[in-house]
Amino acid sequence: MNVLFLGGFAASQVEWIAPAIASEVETGVVTDSDDGERIVAALGEADIIVSEAWRAGTPPAPRLKLLQLPVAGTDAVHTAALPPGVTVCNAYGHEMAMAEYAIMAMLVWCHRYVDIAAGFRGGSWRDSGVMNGPLHRELGGLTVGIVGLGQVGRETAIRAAALGCHVLGANRTIGEPPAGVAQLFPLAELDRMLPLCDVVALCVGLAPETRGLMDARRFGLMKRDALLINVGRGAVTDEDALFAALHDGVIGGAALDTWWRYPTVEEPDIRPSRHPFHELPNVIMTPHCSAWTEGMARRRGADAAANIDRFIRGDTPMHIVART
Amino acid sequence: MKALFLGNVAADTANGIRAELIPELQVDIIADPKELSPEIAGDADILVTNIWRGDYPPGPRIRLVQSVATGIEWIEQAALQRGVPVCNAYGHETAIAEYVVMVMLVWSHRFREIESDFRLHSSWRPSWVHSGAPHGEIRGSTLGIIGLGRVGQEVARRAAPFGCRVLAANRSPRPLGDGVERVYPLAALDEMLPLCDTVAICTAFGPETERLIDARRLSLMKRSAFLVNIARGAIIDEDALYVALRDGTIGGAAIDVWWQYPNAAEPERRPSRHAFHELPNIIMTPHCSGWTGGMVRRRWDEVAGNINRFVRGETLINVVTTT
Repeated sequence: MNVLFLGGFAASQVEWIAPAIASEVETGVVTDSDDGERIVAALGEADIIVSEAWRAGTPPAPRLKLLQLPVAGTDAVHTAALPPGVTVCNAYGHEMAMAEYAIMAMLVWCHRYVDIAAGFRGGSWRDSGVMNGPLHRELGGLTVGIVGLGQVGRETAIRAAALGCHVLGANRTIGEPPAGVAQLFPLAELDRMLPLCDVVALCVGLAPETRGLMDARRFGLMKRDALLINVGRGAVTDEDALFAALHDGVIGGAALDTWWRYPTVEEPDIRPSRHPFHELPNVIMTPHCSAWTEGMARRRGADAAANIDRFIRGDTPMHIVART
Repeated sequence: MKALFLGNVAADTANGIRAELIPELQVDIIADPKELSPEIAGDADILVTNIWRGDYPPGPRIRLVQSVATGIEWIEQAALQRGVPVCNAYGHETAIAEYVVMVMLVWSHRFREIESDFRLHSSWRPSWVHSGAPHGEIRGSTLGIIGLGRVGQEVARRAAPFGCRVLAANRSPRPLGDGVERVYPLAALDEMLPLCDTVAICTAFGPETERLIDARRLSLMKRSAFLVNIARGAIIDEDALYVALRDGTIGGAAIDVWWQYPNAAEPERRPSRHAFHELPNIIMTPHCSGWTGGMVRRRWDEVAGNINRFVRGETLINVVTTT
């Protein structure tokens, strides 16, 4: 079997995936910097391709049977451009890292970590208990509403509950509440959940029903001191409305890891929004890295490799997202 | 009967708990100890404070010292009558345990550098979009808790669900539970230290724990290890920690408790004679890990309850020592 790692991102994942494949395979790597003939030849021989993307205009891959994504997100795969008879699978392992990030953001917010640490490094004891300084909050006892109870939302719920939070959830499909979740709302009834929450954590991917889900009206339903966390996708929140809500104190603050603008070759340090979120004191901002841990790379590499083995053995692979 | 609330923390406590106290109890509130008169000190049956010194006017009638803090080392016991019970107050466990988990996450996720570079320079380097170097996580890491008391147990209870392996070292044997996999005697601390990715000091200060973490023990820790101290500064050898952080003997530290504190003459006194604030691998906070609204509510309840017990002649809780 011939396994091809296609593109710069897949190439960066070879070290995590290739050693974990148990089956006899030949592996190759091509990226955009390789010459066209080499790319065409490699695609022509590939039985299995590891890549997070499939663009229209990719050279033919007549032997391709499995497109294994080394990521969870499927937005970069143009299924219509794939040859017929291909199974597309994604990979997991990012959910624990993202849950840790969400909890970290909640703790940092409640404990006013950024301000206190900066003040003290500068020499001020104003926030000290010894000086009878201003009190900060605890996360324990707060109500955390998780929008999207997929793998990330469920891992976040378990940890928030362990920290003594009252955990609510909103999800498209409703069943038994998962571990740690006290009450589950249908996504259509999100408006009932929002006013109850001290923290709202967006753990949903981008889909027609989640695009622009959090708009000016819904920010208005939230508590004025609530924290919004977005580890899902930037476009789940309305960019203008969120900036205004944070700027005007409609909500208390936000921890944002996913954005509306991403860097390009021309603009590697592009600002992540057309609004100056970086000038707001009530924003925690990170460059889409909540999942980006060594543990994630190891788990996801093992997950992708196990799927490749399953496919080679003739078993049905896991995490099928499309079939052509 | 009279209760004297002395110092600014005790003054806030008095205002917060007054409605809960037995009505017959008279209350004096002196926020600034410099203003304590011999009459008021001489009249007090109950002293509620976090500080008492030998140069204060004497309090010959004091029969109960109720601390408004957990640590009582600023209460000079020799300056009180003999045989007086000294009680402390807790209620800070939740806040401190959250702080420990927070700094573990902040450290492993490299939150400080990533957040600040993104805010200031819009640097996407740590992101997957630039295939940046991944950061860490606490899942799968080993946490060693020194002192499995109220705070240590709450830390264990919160860290275990993150997938941390939790070890502990304690003076007296403790039952396992709350996620703790093994408890070492404090005398066997040297066996535990090399196993830990994070070492969290949650023990009380005393002769057995003064300078417990010295140069030798720092060198037993992993080179990547992260040391958290929320207990008392003097449990760590000040010089040894500075050198260990500067020279990379350990990976980093989060320090909330210090060797030097501010005073009226030096309100912005640096917390150590060493320039910890110039080191990149330290998270430093000004003794505030327990300083939350929840702590105050719980602590006020404990203080009010104990004062009322004393007035009614009932058995006290949280008796730490007798002068």
